[in-house]
Amino acid sequence: MNEVHATYDVIVVGGGHAGTEAAAAAARMGARTLLVTPDLARVGQMSCNPAIGGVAKGVVAREVDALGGIMGRATDASRIQFRMLNRSKGPAVWGPRAQCDRGLYPRAVRRVLDELSDLDMFQEMVTGLMVEGGAARGIVTRGGLRFGASAVVITAGTFLRGKIHVGGEAGQDAGRAGEAPSIELAEALEARGLLMARFKTGTPPRVDGRTVDFSRVEIQPGDPLPYRFSAYEEKPIPEQRVCWITWTGPELSAIVRENLQASALYGGEISGRGPRYCPSIEDKIVKFPNARRHQVFLEPEGLETTELYVNGLSTSLPFEVQERFLRTVPGLERARITKMGYAIEYDYFPPYQLRHTLEVRELPGLYFAGQINGTTGYEEAAGQGLIAGANAAARVLGRPSLVLERDQAYVGVLIDDLVTRGVDEPYRLFTSRAEFRLLLRQDNAVERLGPVAREAGLLTDAQGEALDRRTRARTAVSQWFREARLGPEVVNEALRSTGSGALREHASAEELLRRPELDAVTLFAVGNAPFDPVDEVVRSVEVEVKYEGYVRREKERAERLRAQAAFTVPEEAPFAEFATISREAREKLARIRPATLAQAGRIPGVSPADLQNLVLEVKRWNRLRRAKGDGLPAD
Amino acid sequence: MLRLSGSRAVDVVRRMAPDWHGESRPRVPLLTTLRDPSEDRVLDHALVTYFEAPASYTGEDLIEISTHGGVLVPALVLSALESAGARGARAGEFTQRAYLNGKLDLVQAEGIRDLIDAGSDAGHQVALHQMEGGLSGRLAKLREQLVALEAMLVYHLDFPEEDEPPVPLAEILQAGEVLCAALQDLLSTAPEGELIKEGALVVLAGRPNAGKSSLFNALLGVERAIVTAQPGTTRDALEASVSFEGYPFRMVDTAGLRERAEEVERLGIEVARRYVRHAEVVLLCVSMEWGWGDPETAFLRELGMEKPVIVLQTKADRGSHKDDPDVLAPRERAGLRPPTELAQRIHAALEVSVIDGRGLGELRRVLKNLVFRGVITGGGLGQPLLTRRRQTEGVRLALRETQAFVEALEEGLPADVAATHLRPAETALEELLGIVSPDEILDRVFADFCVGK
Ligand SMILES: Cc1cc2nc3c(=O)[nH]c(=O)nc-3n(C[C@H](O)[C@H](O)[C@H](O)COP(=O)(O)OP(=O)(O)OC[C@H]3O[C@@H](n4cnc5c(N)ncnc54)[C@H](O)[C@@H]3O)c2cc1C
Ligand SMILES: Nc1nc2c(ncn2[C@@H]2O[C@H](COP(=O)(O)OP(=O)(O)O)[C@@H](O)[C@H]2O)c(=O)[nH]1
Ligand SMILES: [Mg+2]
Repeated sequence: MNEVHATYDVIVVGGGHAGTEAAAAAARMGARTLLVTPDLARVGQMSCNPAIGGVAKGVVAREVDALGGIMGRATDASRIQFRMLNRSKGPAVWGPRAQCDRGLYPRAVRRVLDELSDLDMFQEMVTGLMVEGGAARGIVTRGGLRFGASAVVITAGTFLRGKIHVGGEAGQDAGRAGEAPSIELAEALEARGLLMARFKTGTPPRVDGRTVDFSRVEIQPGDPLPYRFSAYEEKPIPEQRVCWITWTGPELSAIVRENLQASALYGGEISGRGPRYCPSIEDKIVKFPNARRHQVFLEPEGLETTELYVNGLSTSLPFEVQERFLRTVPGLERARITKMGYAIEYDYFPPYQLRHTLEVRELPGLYFAGQINGTTGYEEAAGQGLIAGANAAARVLGRPSLVLERDQAYVGVLIDDLVTRGVDEPYRLFTSRAEFRLLLRQDNAVERLGPVAREAGLLTDAQGEALDRRTRARTAVSQWFREARLGPEVVNEALRSTGSGALREHASAEELLRRPELDAVTLFAVGNAPFDPVDEVVRSVEVEVKYEGYVRREKERAERLRAQAAFTVPEEAPFAEFATISREAREKLARIRPATLAQAGRIPGVSPADLQNLVLEVKRWNRLRRAKGDGLPAD
Repeated sequence: MLRLSGSRAVDVVRRMAPDWHGESRPRVPLLTTLRDPSEDRVLDHALVTYFEAPASYTGEDLIEISTHGGVLVPALVLSALESAGARGARAGEFTQRAYLNGKLDLVQAEGIRDLIDAGSDAGHQVALHQMEGGLSGRLAKLREQLVALEAMLVYHLDFPEEDEPPVPLAEILQAGEVLCAALQDLLSTAPEGELIKEGALVVLAGRPNAGKSSLFNALLGVERAIVTAQPGTTRDALEASVSFEGYPFRMVDTAGLRERAEEVERLGIEVARRYVRHAEVVLLCVSMEWGWGDPETAFLRELGMEKPVIVLQTKADRGSHKDDPDVLAPRERAGLRPPTELAQRIHAALEVSVIDGRGLGELRRVLKNLVFRGVITGGGLGQPLLTRRRQTEGVRLALRETQAFVEALEEGLPADVAATHLRPAETALEELLGIVSPDEILDRVFADFCVGK
């Protein structure tokens, strides 16, 4: 049974958010690609809340789109409520968030995949990896089929030795509620010497919307915006719905507190670490005993279903307790649970075992993406999937690898954090993880990444044309701001109404825009500009003009970091022998093997003095190697 | 006391004392017979204490050997240690190892360097305090405050839909201002802190023969400058370090230049001009013999308004000109005082004599209190002081960025734009301490606020 059933360039294992992006990226680049997943009907399924975006995560969804990915298009095609979070705050932290229809989203994903001629799909559980000459060469399925490939991308999500804890029952093996876990594959990878560790996460109960008393909850309407996540395509947007908000009170806290022992989290059933920003209700009540109430969002799961997602009440308490505490929440007094909340624990691979391409350092040709790298969230998974898929294809096709920098994309921040710092809880993106927040905005994802994607071969012709149209529009807007000169007679009335000092002479629209009280809407109106002020391109240019000094400063800081990134550290450098570097730093360097000085500087425990010594040690070592005639070029 | 550090320390001592088993009893001094391994003769009965890595000064296995005193015994033990496999430490090597093993931060290591170099009690105390982590602790606390400030903002930016509303702007502004004030406080110790390390420059000025060199020698307590009755014998500027009441000073005496000795009173003021600009204090010596005159007035005018001046009426043992009219020309009598518009320039006026020593103690006290006023009134030598340019620059940068942050918020700029100032501020302090921040801001948010759904 050793013969290979078929051979591909790239095989992607797992059809979740990471897997679908990986497969699509590889196929778009022209690699013959196979996607293998145990249930093709569940490709692109949302395991948890059917919502895409939010602060920072929304930017990632847009970055994935800008790179030619699926997520933006699928979100536009399935969103039933949209809100721009942080709209009243600064330009860098706007967070587009969409509530999606749980059924429409995966269908949209599937539609995109079906359009790709280089992509095949196959339904099977993968149980093993084929390795030849120290490199990944293909996969083995549960049925014993073998598929050969020059690169394999694994995106098994929460399935690796997954164990779920539903309502206080002893844990059952499962990859997600109602789905089998992936045990053999976990064992096969572990046998290859890869390190594994355990994380946990949880999900709240769902309730039947027909049993909710909507007169007792607050309505949360969406923003009536024609906003689209996709910059390249204008899909029709479905009919829109509202969400609702209600609150927990002291009664609920008391019930939770009385039953803590029965919680898988607190009864000691689960040992892995969970995310602090996605706490269970048990966590919130134990950690913040003085908080009087906690918000609960009721979010529709789709247009065709009455089921509601009870956002804020993630729990692993027994069913009766879940039922009892729900009853104390206004509006949910008679609510019937349709699905219980549960917690899940699973294996992940501490990500410092990876390169920035997401290739496993010790097993060339093997790539990891998504939850198995210790992250959580659809957007984080999608971003990694796209990068892993693109690099897998690049390896096979002999193209340059695709690595995004920290000043270029949140996806770059994410991957650099993973491989440089590792994770000690499920990793999620926040704007505060980016040191160049002002550069990484949702409104300029296309400008940042469109050209990169085209260069890498990730854009279709139609996407490329859309990119060009957008670039032309942007140039026109910038030019108008620079060249339009507005006189006192048109501007002063607007200035007076904002309490701003009157103008004596003509000024350019650009100068006027820098006044805090003026914006593009006003200037376009008084200056008769031929643009739509709510257009994203305008908004993007506006931000860059208005905060020009700050944007420039961030760019300069980023430049300085890039200079450090230009000092490369040879991968085979004997870090453990660099005696002038502190012991802690030496150990970390030896484990993480930073490729550049800049990356070394981001490793916790490596001090500026260590960095200086690293430069000296590397230079000394290079000299020695040259002296020994290792064929190194002179520097 | 001899100290041995490194993974082979135990082996080395074992070679000299086969029966010693200190490694099983760390931190207990054991009376041990030390032998020379090459000659097998008893060298000393010494107290030997073992400190197990990493719980030692260097973070490595460390052994302290307390031998009997004198010159010979310690030297013999040292040489025996070398033949047993040890080697002499390079300058600062123990500290360097401690630093490399993470036992000290950068500022503490600098404190140790300063301790070795300290030329005064005050310098010593400050270095000791710094070595023990006094300044590091203050810097770490300031950094923590910065992190807390950013956390307030991050809560506002990254967690928009939480149970609690965002931290009010006024509260963030206030925290920013409190932090600015704390940074400013520390920064204000810098001028004097750097002086404690380097010594405050005090320059002597006066007409030839006013008694500058005599005073220089009297204050130093050694015959450094050449003193003669003939003006013009001091050939070049002389500099010497000295400590007054424990505080460090650098005294500078003048280069001599003059033509006609007899016309002393008509010559201008002698002073080491290139030092004056950097001087903390100028001591203007006016001899009781001829009193204040035009050269002194001209000198003060030229000196500018900032530089503190102490006027010394030298040779006070000769008695006041008033008592001894023979000594002084009559026209000088009236002029012993400076013109009133310059009087306010003078910090103090003292009568001094190197013959009977009068006024010298007072002069030392006045100098100390004038130059180190801030340190003395602000908490003394037990407070953290910035003693190096590197430290001062870092704190100044942190202050500038934090101020810019507060101003940006006050001007109504969005929080994420204003926040661009906080990272550079944090980095500045982190570079001082030699640490790199992992994501502590988020840790702080998770600890302080109930976030997440
Ligand atoms: C209970 C639960 C709660 C969650 N809560 C949150 C939350 O609160 N917030 C949040 O941001 N995120 C949450 N998530 C995480 C979010 O669902 C994931 O981050 C995201 O789906 C990860 O995408 P992925 O592609 O890595 O993995 P998944 O979406 O899990 O996809 C994995 C895919 O791999 C397939 N697969 C697994 N093993 C094999 C194999 N051996 N062979 C072939 N195919 C295989 C699976 O069938 C599946 O299609 C939760 C997930 C779960 C299960
Ligand atoms: N009586 C007396 N003579 C002094 C005193 N100080 C200096 N002299 C004398 O004054 C002369 C000049 O002193 P000197 O220190 O060389 O003066 P300089 O040119 O200012 O450096 C010498 O003869 C000293 O002995 C003092 O305090 N008392
Ligand atoms: Mg002299």
